[in-house]
Amino acid sequence: MAGGSRQGAGEDPDQDLVARVGRGEPAAVQALVARKLPRMLALARRMLGDAGEAEDVAQEVFVRAWKQAPKWTPGAGKFDTWMHRVALNLCYDRLRRRREQPMAEPPEQVDPSTGAEQGLQDADVSKRVEAAVAALPERQREAVVLCHYQDLTNIEAAALMGVSVEALESLLSRGRRALRAALTDMAPARS
Amino acid sequence: MDIERYRSLAEAYGADMSRWPQDQRDPALALHAREPEAAGRILAEAAFLDEALDAWRPPTVSHALRERVLAGAPRPRAALGGRSLGGRFGLWLSGAGLAAACAAGIVVGMAGSSAAISDVRADEMLAAAASEDASTALAPFTVSDRLTLRREA
Repeated sequence: MAGGSRQGAGEDPDQDLVARVGRGEPAAVQALVARKLPRMLALARRMLGDAGEAEDVAQEVFVRAWKQAPKWTPGAGKFDTWMHRVALNLCYDRLRRRREQPMAEPPEQVDPSTGAEQGLQDADVSKRVEAAVAALPERQREAVVLCHYQDLTNIEAAALMGVSVEALESLLSRGRRALRAALTDMAPARS
Repeated sequence: MDIERYRSLAEAYGADMSRWPQDQRDPALALHAREPEAAGRILAEAAFLDEALDAWRPPTVSHALRERVLAGAPRPRAALGGRSLGGRFGLWLSGAGLAAACAAGIVVGMAGSSAAISDVRADEMLAAAASEDASTALAPFTVSDRLTLRREA
């Protein structure tokens, strides 16, 4: 299997915008922030499970994007993919630091197995899903976040993770299977 | 494509075929047409998980974060030019002000050596000398002013 999914592998839809950002056009700066900041924040939040750290990562991605935009070479790849790479590397750094220095107070986790009998409200469902995703092994979580939430193609996600498309598919399958098991009690209420 | 491959794709990528690898979509559609019931069940199972995952709402971007991000953004090149011009102009003004302040010091030294110059007049001179406008800063220190100062002394 080699085909990409959602976005084609061709032109960068952000190319013109990035060029204008590089020239310092205020409208382009605003547009890039509106287009990418929620995306980078969501990626970091879902990778790290911590709101404050996610904001720090998203801000740092933009610090680097502002430096990169004036020298960005069209055709060298998608700017969105580059931003994802920067964000993921920042997330990896933080996750590695956590492993090396266990935190006194790890981010609050919600037990994904509880709550079915509480008449789930949307916020409860959201928290349960968050907890279930957070409980996945890191690489499975990353695959699910990139493909489902960030809407990247299988080829883009595999390249970012440094694995083959087949390996990505395996990570996705295992991750989604674990999620289905953790959230299976939600099925009747939602069907 | 057989039904097992169809299942494995749904389990990996979910029920939305636009997420599936591009080169697998047509064969998958063909299989769905051949085996609609089995394929439909597989997609329904995958759709449940997709829907559950979508319930995890993304965080909202705070105003403070947005402002922090925008604060570091590139400035328009014209503005940069204006800023550097302003910077050079400001530097020139600073130099003029400094020169004026030196001139004031010399004049005050000359005129006030007898310690008779009034503090009020000296303050006025120094205030004028410190002004960014070189013309007004330098204006009080004409020859006639020095003479006036000497007369006051």
